[in-house]
Amino acid sequence: MTVPTHNPASPILTVKDLDLFYGAKQALKKINISMQRNQVTAFIGPSGCGKSTLLRCFNRMNDLIDNVRVEGSISFEDQEIYAASTDVITLRRRIGMVFQQSNPFPKSIYENIVYGLRIAGVNDKSLLDETVERSLRSAAIWDEVKDRLHDSALGLSGGQAQRICIARAIAVNPEIILMDEPCSALDPISTLKIEELIDELKRKYTIIIVTHNMQQAARVSDVTGFFYLGELIEAGPTRKIFTNPEKTQTEDYITGRFG
Amino acid sequence: MKKNYTQASRRRDRLAELLIRICGLFVIVAVVWILVMITRVALPLFYSPKATSIASISLPVELKQSRLLSIGIDETQQELFSLDGKGLVHFIDTRGGTLKESVPVPDPPPGARTVVSAELVSKSLYNLLWDTGVVSSVKIAFSSTRSESGNTIVSHEVSADPEGFFPGSGAFKRSFVRTIEGKGAVRVDQLESDRIRVTWRSKETDLFGNEKATTSSSEIQDPLPAAITAVVLDHAGHYLYAGTRNGQLMRWDISEPGEIRLLDSTAVTGNSPVTALNLVLGDISVAVGDGKGGYTAWFPVTAAGSGEGKQLVRTHVLRPHTGTVSAILPSPRDKSLVSVNDQGVIHIDHVTSERNLLTLKGAKPVAMLALSAQGNSLCSLDTAGNFAVWRLEIPHPEVSLGTLFGKVWYEGYDRPEYVWQSSAANDDFEPKMSLVPLIFGTLKATAFAMLFAVPLALLGALYTSQFMAPRLKSRIKPAVEIMAAIPSVVVGFLAGLWLAPLIDKVVLAFFLSFIIIPVMLLVTIFFWRLIKTASPLERRLRGKEFIVLIPIVLVGTWLAYLLGGIVEVQVFGGDFKQWLYSVLGIRYDQRNSMIIAVALGFAVIPLIFTIAEDALSNVPRNLTAASLALGASRWQTAWRVVLPSALPGVFSAVMIGFGRAVGETMIVLMATGNTPIMSGSIFNGLRSLSANIAVEIPEASLNGSLYRVLFLSAVLLFIFTFIINTVAEALRQRFRRKYGRY
Ligand SMILES: Nc1ncnc2c1ncn2[C@@H]1O[C@H](COP(=O)(O)OP(=O)(O)OP(=O)(O)O)[C@@H](O)[C@H]1O
Ligand SMILES: [Mg+2]
Repeated sequence: MTVPTHNPASPILTVKDLDLFYGAKQALKKINISMQRNQVTAFIGPSGCGKSTLLRCFNRMNDLIDNVRVEGSISFEDQEIYAASTDVITLRRRIGMVFQQSNPFPKSIYENIVYGLRIAGVNDKSLLDETVERSLRSAAIWDEVKDRLHDSALGLSGGQAQRICIARAIAVNPEIILMDEPCSALDPISTLKIEELIDELKRKYTIIIVTHNMQQAARVSDVTGFFYLGELIEAGPTRKIFTNPEKTQTEDYITGRFG
Repeated sequence: MKKNYTQASRRRDRLAELLIRICGLFVIVAVVWILVMITRVALPLFYSPKATSIASISLPVELKQSRLLSIGIDETQQELFSLDGKGLVHFIDTRGGTLKESVPVPDPPPGARTVVSAELVSKSLYNLLWDTGVVSSVKIAFSSTRSESGNTIVSHEVSADPEGFFPGSGAFKRSFVRTIEGKGAVRVDQLESDRIRVTWRSKETDLFGNEKATTSSSEIQDPLPAAITAVVLDHAGHYLYAGTRNGQLMRWDISEPGEIRLLDSTAVTGNSPVTALNLVLGDISVAVGDGKGGYTAWFPVTAAGSGEGKQLVRTHVLRPHTGTVSAILPSPRDKSLVSVNDQGVIHIDHVTSERNLLTLKGAKPVAMLALSAQGNSLCSLDTAGNFAVWRLEIPHPEVSLGTLFGKVWYEGYDRPEYVWQSSAANDDFEPKMSLVPLIFGTLKATAFAMLFAVPLALLGALYTSQFMAPRLKSRIKPAVEIMAAIPSVVVGFLAGLWLAPLIDKVVLAFFLSFIIIPVMLLVTIFFWRLIKTASPLERRLRGKEFIVLIPIVLVGTWLAYLLGGIVEVQVFGGDFKQWLYSVLGIRYDQRNSMIIAVALGFAVIPLIFTIAEDALSNVPRNLTAASLALGASRWQTAWRVVLPSALPGVFSAVMIGFGRAVGETMIVLMATGNTPIMSGSIFNGLRSLSANIAVEIPEASLNGSLYRVLFLSAVLLFIFTFIINTVAEALRQRFRRKYGRY
């Protein structure tokens, strides 16, 4: 086995000619995109264009859906995600996910954070404690919850809950964090906090975020990809996409002329 | 327009709310009403007994000079009699105290002029010892008829009973005669200076039909520890009891003609003289009263350690008197006793329950006491010549919290025990109504059933909700729900008549299958993990995994069957049940707790399954997704996220199943032998509270003790399920606040 050497220039995720079918219906068409380490990549596009579908390909959450067929390749560093030899469980530990609706488990805040470790068989109390504090600090919520770690996570506000979910994803030390519209159910202040958090997090993690909020994409991301009807129309540095897109479809979408 | 619309909908809302309230209220009222109704039937068990003073009259002037030997009273407290030394029976009206009639005892023995003593043998039969030494029997009976105007009219009858005639000559203090139908009679005479003589007269019919009577007689030779103060003989003429001045109770076996065998000589009072002695109805227990007021009951018990010999043991201690117990009178109807002390205080106690039922105080010491033939009237004659008459209302003397829930020392038992045996063929039977074996049976049946049902139902629900393909699930779930609709009679019938004999044949295989099948399943699951997620094979089997398990379960059953046979031969010498009995001393009942576990389990599985499955399915997908995205396997997700989140719902599913199992009647009735025993063994049957009600209520006489005790057990069952449900709901609410929402 060779230890993967991380060339900072080489992309962490590379999607090549990816087609995805839900039964007979093609949801993704010939997608080609690569994501760089420690960058925030934003996926934008009208509803139903396949952003979530692509995101779910990265941690193979599509596996759970019947009749899904994937063609093409996605490589995570030098590993083929859809290869038969890939262990989904390890993959998901390395590529975490934050969902649109905050979904804390009906357990204590503490147990929510350590869940990923516990299922991996970690039970060392000091390690767990340490992880909880680190993750909650990283998710910028430590000060708000440090006195009630053992209270139910269901008693938190939507914004707090979403940050708990981010902390829960961070706790297993992933390399990539996938975020599917993480702020769509939040108020502007919570949204702002999460956006600041994303800025913080990209120092350590690679982040891929799906959003319907143009400003958000412009604010937080380094690279933006625009999807339309299952196709990746255009991808490039965020500033360029928002100021000087190459395709008229992109421009129309960004300026709000359709969608 | 818009305003109208909102008004209309508000009105509709209010109407709906009102309707719901009324219906809810109706349900609550109905439930409370049921509870009140059954409690009303059960409650009289605990009412205190009543004695109503009916009359207090002085002896008619005509009798002032008579030497009275015995008194008696009729059932309706209208007439009493007294028997005097001249052999006259005087009937007295209790309302006016006037002498109605004096009837001479018919057929007095030739030459006899006075009666020395009279003994009440049974109900209305008296043995009279005449001055000539002859004993004769007389029946003094009352009967009452209802007149057209609705009053009861009492009539009396004095008749001779030639059976009880036993010749004799000499002067005796007291004599007892017992006739044994067709075989003869035995006579016990208490002579001067503490001699006791027993005379047997046996009748034999020879080949030619000639009757030949032989008489033999012998005197008690055993040295007496002190002077005899009380003597009593049982109704069969088998056992003779005597109490002494120094508090010894002696018991002789006189059942074999010519043979007097001393069985016991036991200190019963601690040196105080035995002043009153009598046998409790049924002739097993003997009640002893002493000079200090001590009042106890004794019967022969197989002594621990010693072979067959039975020794008199003090089994009940009754409420002591304040002074010397002067007389004890057994109730003709049950195990109650009337006793009186030297100050005229009358106690009525029940021996089995040790309940002091009534205490009655007269002004003067009592000379004589009598109970009517049915035990409804009590009459006393004090030393000043005044009669007092009471009407007794003691409907349930044998029931007390102690007998219902505590250990009781029943006649014929070697130690106090919890026993349920409500009725038997004979009248002098001691009803044993301990609810403990029934409560035990109920809990045992429920526990075994839950042990069987909960894992199956919950794992099934977990699988169905989390793993099964939706199409399959949409068929399986209704199928399980239909299972719940199978009448419990059918389940009970199959369990009792098909499953019980089947398991009887393959007990070991049945046990082994509980080990083999789970082990095989675990092994399968272990290999299952080698199949990669999303591989073609996994995709094909996904949601239908259990189809692979069906052959495995079948193979497991077959293996268990084979192995069961082998193990039975190799380990248990060919007969497991025999081995069980001879080595472990455990009896194998065909209808045992295993059958109950399976049958009752079968009844509650659909219930638990359905409710739990709903709760588990309601756990939102995004929770499972979150878990899976963190690298959890589907099984880990189901176990660690779905199950805890749905815990309130799963918990109430289990509790509802529990409640159903507790109250289930038909299955328990048919699948067990209904033996009310307290054995924790899985090989023994049981009787549950509910089945007991079903079994016994047809036999219970309306408003009798058994009838009311059955209602009491219904109240208990009601309270039991009520508590379970309340606690379950409270816990569910707590869980819900703490953890899940589903
Ligand atoms: N489980 C599924 N089975 C079948 N079709 C699906 C499934 N999930 C998504 N699709 C279809 O695939 C297409 C892409 O869906 P996807 O959820 O990826 O869109 P999206 O870009 O995330 O939209 P939105 O912005 O509304 O979240 C849609 O047409 C959708 O109907
Ligand atoms: Mg989406």
